[in-house]
Amino acid sequence: MDPIEKRELKRQAWMRLAAQRRRAGRLRGRVVAISLVCFALLWAVVFAQMATGNDPVLSAKEKATTTRTMATAKSEVETTDPRELETERAAAQAQAREEEAAETEAEPVEEEVEAVESEAEFEEAEPEIAEEEAVESEPLVTSQS
Amino acid sequence: MSGEAIERFECFGGWCAVRVGDPDQEAAQRAARWARRTLLDAHATLSRFDPESELSRLNRDPRPEVPASLLLRRTVAAALTAGLRSGGLVDASLVEEIEAAGYAESRDFDGGRAADGAPLPHPAAPSPRAGWCGFSVNESAGTVNRPPGVRLDPGGIAKGLMADLVGEALADFPTFAVDCCGDLRVGGTAARPRAILVDDPTGGPALYQLRIADGAVATSGITRRSWTGEDGRPAHQILDPATGEPAFTGIVQATAVAPSGLLAETLAKAALLSGPAHAEEHLPFGGVLVTEDGAVLLVDALGAPPLPQVLAR
Repeated sequence: MDPIEKRELKRQAWMRLAAQRRRAGRLRGRVVAISLVCFALLWAVVFAQMATGNDPVLSAKEKATTTRTMATAKSEVETTDPRELETERAAAQAQAREEEAAETEAEPVEEEVEAVESEAEFEEAEPEIAEEEAVESEPLVTSQS
Repeated sequence: MSGEAIERFECFGGWCAVRVGDPDQEAAQRAARWARRTLLDAHATLSRFDPESELSRLNRDPRPEVPASLLLRRTVAAALTAGLRSGGLVDASLVEEIEAAGYAESRDFDGGRAADGAPLPHPAAPSPRAGWCGFSVNESAGTVNRPPGVRLDPGGIAKGLMADLVGEALADFPTFAVDCCGDLRVGGTAARPRAILVDDPTGGPALYQLRIADGAVATSGITRRSWTGEDGRPAHQILDPATGEPAFTGIVQATAVAPSGLLAETLAKAALLSGPAHAEEHLPFGGVLVTEDGAVLLVDALGAPPLPQVLAR
């Protein structure tokens, strides 16, 4: 192989190597860029969610617990509306009847017994609510100390 | 439960009461009597008007570090907590100022006249001197530290603190209530709500009824412990720390609900001193405000709008 051809081959090899390095660099750059974009996007979504007050950690269950604790701990400023209780009770009874009707088609006798028991439980529930009422004593008075 | 054991007695310059409910009536009565003794002992320790009380001895002591009982150390810590929590509005170091205002010793009050002829209302502010910041407690040495000459007047802070301490001791009973001159701590294992009436600052019928199963309520106001000063101007015991003079902020009474008596007392006083524009910020657990013109504002416990709600008397 003459020296000119040899140099030409060497040059081509060097060119291929350089092209390979450039390609690897480009790939590395893309990976880094995509990672950064993904991170920023995710961060922005979480930030927006928190900033708007929609903290996913505070699920419906958590909220209920917090509210209840606050209310119990402090100013429960009057409370149980008898009409609400009545509405809730009526809805629950209706649901119980529907379930009963559905189950009656399959096992009529057992269902009736269960329905009667369930009604009886409802009847008994009311006195329990009444028992939860305030301590029976002369009201306390908070005055300027 | 058939009823609660009740002890009523004079203490802290007013009337205190303890109620304990338990199926074992005798145990309830023993607990109520113990609570009474504890509160009376605390009064003897923390009275500013008794020169032989531990508080008076501390205030006279020329040393910067003074050995102190557990109760006095807790009281100093409570005063620091109140100062920090209120941003300096509740300042327990204003002894000179309260004496200058005419409350150097136990006295009679001609309540209800404080707002008449009072200066134009303006919100109170913390004292730039912040004497309360000079207090600290060294638990391992059992001492209280403060610059000699700086005196402590825990006032309502002691009542809130004692309601908490006695309440903690009674927490295993089904129901209990501790009333330290209107600073209330209620609770018990039965978790049954208790009716609490908010007093009218002008002596009329109760303004509002709260129902609380476990927590505290305190009321701070300028109409009951008030008098006419030597200059003929109305005076009372709630001082503006910035001026050292009785505060007239536009609120005559503030009631705060909180998990503890100390916090309720701190929040009530801070709300009163802040004036109508900022009082709500100091009532995160709810409360009732009475303004100079007689309006009653209810601050909802859960902070949900609309706030404040104006109630019909």
